[in-house]
Amino acid sequence: MTAKLDIWGLSKSFGDLEVLKDISFKIKDQELVAIVGPSGCGKTTLLRMIAGIETPDGGGISIDGKALKGPGPDRGFVFQQDSLFPWRTVWQNAVLGLEIDGKLDSERVARTRELLKLVGLSKFEKYYPNQISGGMRQRVNLARALAIDPKVLIMDEPFSALDAQTREIMQLELMRIWQEGRKTVLFITHQIDEAVFLADRIVVLGRRPGWVRETIDIDLPRPRPLSVKRTPEFGAYVDRVWNLIERDVYASVQEDIEATAP
Amino acid sequence: MSEVSAGVRSKKAAASWTRPLFWTSAVSIVAGLLMWELAGRFIVKKALFLTTPSQIVVEMWRLTASGQLKQHLYVSGIEFGTGLAIAIVLGIAIGFLMATNKYAKRALGPWVSALYATPTVAISPLIILWAGIDIWSKVIVVVINSVFPMIINTEAGLRSTDRQLIEAARCFGASRLQVFWKVLLPSATPFLLAGVKLAVGRGLVAVVVAELFGSRAGLGFLLAQASDAFNMPLLFVSVTILAVTGMALTGLIGGLERYFLPWRAKAGE
Ligand SMILES: Nc1ncnc2c1ncn2[C@@H]1O[C@H](COP(=O)(O)OP(=O)(O)OP(=O)(O)O)[C@@H](O)[C@H]1O
Ligand SMILES: [Mg+2]
Repeated sequence: MTAKLDIWGLSKSFGDLEVLKDISFKIKDQELVAIVGPSGCGKTTLLRMIAGIETPDGGGISIDGKALKGPGPDRGFVFQQDSLFPWRTVWQNAVLGLEIDGKLDSERVARTRELLKLVGLSKFEKYYPNQISGGMRQRVNLARALAIDPKVLIMDEPFSALDAQTREIMQLELMRIWQEGRKTVLFITHQIDEAVFLADRIVVLGRRPGWVRETIDIDLPRPRPLSVKRTPEFGAYVDRVWNLIERDVYASVQEDIEATAP
Repeated sequence: MSEVSAGVRSKKAAASWTRPLFWTSAVSIVAGLLMWELAGRFIVKKALFLTTPSQIVVEMWRLTASGQLKQHLYVSGIEFGTGLAIAIVLGIAIGFLMATNKYAKRALGPWVSALYATPTVAISPLIILWAGIDIWSKVIVVVINSVFPMIINTEAGLRSTDRQLIEAARCFGASRLQVFWKVLLPSATPFLLAGVKLAVGRGLVAVVVAELFGSRAGLGFLLAQASDAFNMPLLFVSVTILAVTGMALTGLIGGLERYFLPWRAKAGE
């Protein structure tokens, strides 16, 4: 079986700063893969290259065997920062991608309605982003990404701005939506437990420059209830990932402190 | 439902007419006018020094009945309207150029900031000398006064657009044109409307001042006539009309804001 998303030999520098070096991994159809790495290791940069708004210095990316050329509706994105358009209602935000693609037909409108129902926002279609909570906004972002029916859903730390409880709820929601629609998902996070809970596989990145340190299969049975987080198997996976990135995390924190010191 | 916190709260002080708050402004205006009238009749007594509201009303009636007022209003209105329209279109175009082209920004920037701060009404006599005493000289004066706030606000509005939103649109495959229509323009709209508000205020002053310096008709002409003849009621007629026009236009822009920026209205007040 060919990979849904194939990334090979990807590298990127900004001037003298080498951000990513020789990144290679594949995602199979309907697989949920999480990328974990310390802050600043180039996760967002990787995502921007997959989006087609940043060009790699070397290597390449393909979906269904076809090399990517620029942005396109075969990929749906949920970004690290809330990126709803404040002047658009929940509904208008959800159909943004379809509108840009010129595909706002009745069938897709109906499907977007279904999606908003799926994320529990049917009643809020006419609300503006500043009238709903952070958790709801991130669900609109999710609906907006899914509305274009992408081949791959790519999420950049989508829940990092949420409080701990809301984050857990959102993880469950994402799991439920993923199970219903069975999308191929690439999920970036620096929350290790989030990655272990959601993913079929975790790609662990090292830093300076970002590189693939290890890939770990998560063999926890699905469906996974929240209680799985308290099992010893879960804890073992978290420890394993943590051990891999621990030193990098300390190094990046240290660097941040030095950078801000007078 | 507790998730829906802000915004949905119904307008808290939607002053209902049964409340004293609703009547406060009206009572204040009526009381003020009454005091003015009484002061003019019983204290100052000389119409030259203090004309009264009733005299102003009589004078306004006389001008309206004779058709003069309509003629002056028409002339000033055309001058102001044409000038404002040109200033808005030109201002948006130049502002857009400055926001998108760094050479244009460098070349025009110093001129725009310098002229924005200059009270360009002061050169009205020169413009009248060049362009004549008819309406076009006034149109030009309105344009050179109103265009700069428009330029500055357009540029600031376009520049302040959240990069994150532009990138989101581009990730969805938006073309440059789509980025402009769907992201840059809506994001800059509050700034554009603020620019229009400033342009209206400046344009109104500009048209009157330019007419004062030389004209055959218009509210400024009426003002000049009144002051030459020491006809204070006539002077106040012009001033009243200007005040009412200013208020009406401000109200109109408020309406435009509610129409174009519904997300702000629902969040604010
Ligand atoms: N356009 C750019 N120009 C220069 N440097 C950049 C640019 N974009 C990113 N960088 C640098 O590349 C490095 C990686 O950034 P990136 O945002 O990809 O990290 P990240 O892994 O997403 O971090 P975080 O977990 O904090 O979101 C950082 O050091 C950043 O300063
Ligand atoms: Mg990031």
